[in-house]
Amino acid sequence: MKKHALLVFSVAVLALAAGCQKDETTSRDADLAGVNVAVGEKKGAFSKLFVLNEGNFQKNNSTLDFLRFSDGNYVSDAFGSMNPAVVQGLGDTGNDLALNNGKLWLVMNGSGYVHVLDAKDETLIASVAVPDPRFIAFDNSHAYVSSYAGAIYGGEEKKGKVYRIDLNTYKVDGEVEVGCQPEGVTVSGGKLYVANSGGYNYVHENTVSVIDLSSFKVTATVSVASNLHFMASDGQEAVYVSSYGESSWSQDSAGNWIQSMSEPMGLYKISGISSTQIKDVHVSCMTTSADGYIYAIGNAGELTGGYSITLYKVAVKDGSVASKALSGTDASKVGNPYGILVNPSNGDIYIADADYTGPGKVWCFTKDLKEKWSAVAGMLPAHMALY
Amino acid sequence: MKGLALVALSLLGTVAAAQERADTLRASVVSSVSGSLLTPQRITTERLGTVTGVSEAIRRFTGVQVRDYGGVGGLKTVNVRSLGSEHTAVFVDGVQISHAQNMQVDLGRLSLEGLSSISLFSGQKTSPLQSAKEYSSASALYLESASPVFSGSRTDNLKASLGAGSFMTIAPGLSWEHLFKSGTSFRISGDAVSSKGEYRFHVRDYRQFPDGTVAGYDTTMTRTNCDLASIRAEALLFSPRSGDASWTLRAYFYGSGRGLPGPVYKKAGEYPLSLDRQTDRDAFIQGRYYRSLGDIWSVAGRAKLSFNHLEYTDFPEFLPEGSPARYNYRDHSAYLSASAMARISGAFSLNIAQDVQYDYLDADLRDFAFPGRFSSWSSLSARAGAGSVEASATLLYLGIWDTFLTARSRSGAYRDALMPSLVVRWEAAEHLSFNGLAKRSYRMPTFNDLYYTTVGTKTLDPEDALQLGLGVEWDLVHSGSSDMDVKVDVYRNRLKNKIIAVPTSNQFRWSMYNLGIVEILGVDLSADYSIKISGGECGAIVKYTFQQAKDRSDRDALTWGGQIPYIPVNSGSVNAFGVFSGWRADVTLFATGERFTTSANLPAYRLSPWTTLDAALSKNLSLRGKDLTLKLCLNNLLNERYEIVDNYPMPGFNCLLSAMVSWR
Repeated sequence: MKKHALLVFSVAVLALAAGCQKDETTSRDADLAGVNVAVGEKKGAFSKLFVLNEGNFQKNNSTLDFLRFSDGNYVSDAFGSMNPAVVQGLGDTGNDLALNNGKLWLVMNGSGYVHVLDAKDETLIASVAVPDPRFIAFDNSHAYVSSYAGAIYGGEEKKGKVYRIDLNTYKVDGEVEVGCQPEGVTVSGGKLYVANSGGYNYVHENTVSVIDLSSFKVTATVSVASNLHFMASDGQEAVYVSSYGESSWSQDSAGNWIQSMSEPMGLYKISGISSTQIKDVHVSCMTTSADGYIYAIGNAGELTGGYSITLYKVAVKDGSVASKALSGTDASKVGNPYGILVNPSNGDIYIADADYTGPGKVWCFTKDLKEKWSAVAGMLPAHMALY
Repeated sequence: MKGLALVALSLLGTVAAAQERADTLRASVVSSVSGSLLTPQRITTERLGTVTGVSEAIRRFTGVQVRDYGGVGGLKTVNVRSLGSEHTAVFVDGVQISHAQNMQVDLGRLSLEGLSSISLFSGQKTSPLQSAKEYSSASALYLESASPVFSGSRTDNLKASLGAGSFMTIAPGLSWEHLFKSGTSFRISGDAVSSKGEYRFHVRDYRQFPDGTVAGYDTTMTRTNCDLASIRAEALLFSPRSGDASWTLRAYFYGSGRGLPGPVYKKAGEYPLSLDRQTDRDAFIQGRYYRSLGDIWSVAGRAKLSFNHLEYTDFPEFLPEGSPARYNYRDHSAYLSASAMARISGAFSLNIAQDVQYDYLDADLRDFAFPGRFSSWSSLSARAGAGSVEASATLLYLGIWDTFLTARSRSGAYRDALMPSLVVRWEAAEHLSFNGLAKRSYRMPTFNDLYYTTVGTKTLDPEDALQLGLGVEWDLVHSGSSDMDVKVDVYRNRLKNKIIAVPTSNQFRWSMYNLGIVEILGVDLSADYSIKISGGECGAIVKYTFQQAKDRSDRDALTWGGQIPYIPVNSGSVNAFGVFSGWRADVTLFATGERFTTSANLPAYRLSPWTTLDAALSKNLSLRGKDLTLKLCLNNLLNERYEIVDNYPMPGFNCLLSAMVSWR
């Protein structure tokens, strides 16, 4: 074991990355070695698929991976390799990842940071302290981050907040109180929509807070459904929000815990201050795609206690739903679908597969659910973005 | 002495000579660790003086991994032969410390004060008059109290001690022993520990890049919210040293308050990472009784009543002004055991025992099940010798009846297990013996496994541990002045139905399942050499443990075939000591190889190997009728920065100076 001198504070031996000497059209992360998963998309619309591994609770092992489409290599822990001097790396429990204007934003729930990276080479630009952050959305001038703001399970009831971060200074310049344990956020028509879960409360919340972005005040609260989670905008007027539904716990005659869904997991469309349910969509993870669809994965059999993992494709223009069970397709190999993303240029579906005893996997399927490739990811891969 | 001692010694028959080392009957009338066919690993009084705690003593054993979360208040548990800490029972004076809630015994709370020995039985202990419970776990750790010894015509011994050292630790202690005219004696003792507990640690990560450059960081931080304040008070009553019966009675109280520093992870703002606290109040009364009823029969009884209260306070992480959440757990337990031994002939004896226990757990969690558990252990053990071979076969039946609150009413569930075991010992020569072990034992699911609100699974089966082992003990050198023993054990264990938490079809709800399978191949090696030289003695002990513990749970998973978390393939220690005219010096080197935090043994989940060096120096002085002992313990002299549990850094160099005065 090598002994290193005691350095007072985060003094680093900086790598003289070989990339420095390369011409500027080559990304500095091009030399990072990866595992070849032979994707073969040299001339695709995207150069990288970013994967944020949540990591285990308080294990500080959240990592950022990417798949490089040009050579089909899956690179693990790219953030650590490109920013070796950043003390304790990315940190704990990455809960959201989003691309905005060439920057990659990582929301670190356990660490209380929002990291801003250069999407080109994963180098750290700024780390913004935000307490207990959950999800992120953007308008032209700001990032908006939902936050539990210090609530604890079993403690007193606490309202959550949305923090506003200036895109030029990377400083928090505003906050507004919303419902309890806010989750997904999305921007549409000059307004920010915030899904309030109330996940720590005995009775969940069922509202979406609507914040006017010019005044940064809550202007409306829309009742939707219990325990709201993911939020997405259709790019027009409407926004979509998913609900984890309402369940009650009971015990059968043998004393086993049975979760019965009194309200199913669902998807809701909000227009103005009214919401309508999109029929029969059970959402445990979802994504919007530029191809005009919302994709979601959920258990179609949840109400009857069955187990039928299903892929839903919801057309934004008319709310029509096409569903397909994963069983019987290559995607039945996915153990625990934990995140989904769709490539709008070729329809490929990426599914993050969380294993709870070891590292997870990222799968790529064609739109017909034929397997293209899979890669070993980090702990609990969940959030993805195409660059 | 004659009662039990006679029975026990006559049983030993031809193997008496070899048993002598493992026999503490000379030291105390009542002992639960004497006369076993499989000899335990043992640390006795003089060596106990060279360590600062029970967990430090135990990590000198082979086949053992002590899981240590670091610091004075950090949880310390022992895992023997990779079967998991729940498979090791801890006995204090022959009665188990049991926690139905999680079966975890924090070794950090056990005091060395008043102990005569710590023994570890890997596999099966087979002693005369043992309780049924003592057959039931895969391995057993025994802490034995020393009986008071009164020199000359004295009837009182008084002892005072004071320790002080790193982490702002102060530890005073008092003990009073008294001998009544009837021969009955007592010891009342108490000690307290107060420690701020803080220490500096490094957070560091260097990585090498393909072009040869190395980059990373190394930063120091301070571990905070790891204070400890504890008090222990106990009273022991000992039977007279003569007569056909012997007994002890003990009343015990332990109270502590501690900060829970939590794992180290990146967090915005200042440390501390955690403000969570835990308060414990543990109290018990226990007793045991042995009686000889003539040449054939002898009987023993044991009883215990205990109460533990744990209060856990969870502070809001980002809003220190917010109200915390509080959880209280109250664990009640009552235990009764009766055993009888019939020495039918010099070479054949039978041991029967019946134990019962009731546990009840009360907690203020939402939808709590308020579980109660009635357990019954029945054992029948036969021991027979022929020539140089002796064997012991045991059959144990364990039945547990749980009741728990469901939505409206109390329901029940019955679980049972039959646990057979066979131990054979062959004295191949005067100084060479071989032993064999086959044992199947079951670890019942804990209250947490079964009843934790929405997580527990009520249909769990017990964990199933099969142990097969072969051992050799060779007294290589045995002249009057020097002595060398070598002990080698090879074992093959298989753990099935291991209880692990996995998510259900609803990924937001985790549940307990019997899914784990582990296959273990182990080798324990130990060599012990000592030589008497003019005015003293010196020696060395070398220990080595090989553990291949493979995950065989899921053939399609990345974890298949990997080494299970936290078990090093290689670990060991070297100890050297010298004793001269009242001085004693001890130096111990511990080394542990790489480990992984998951069975997927990828580089990202590797924990570095570590080596630590500890030293202890003590001096005994006699001053006008008083004995004074001064002791200096120096731990982690190399200032190694290491972690036993991922993200729980261990302290660097630390020391404890203590003084003890006794009037006797």
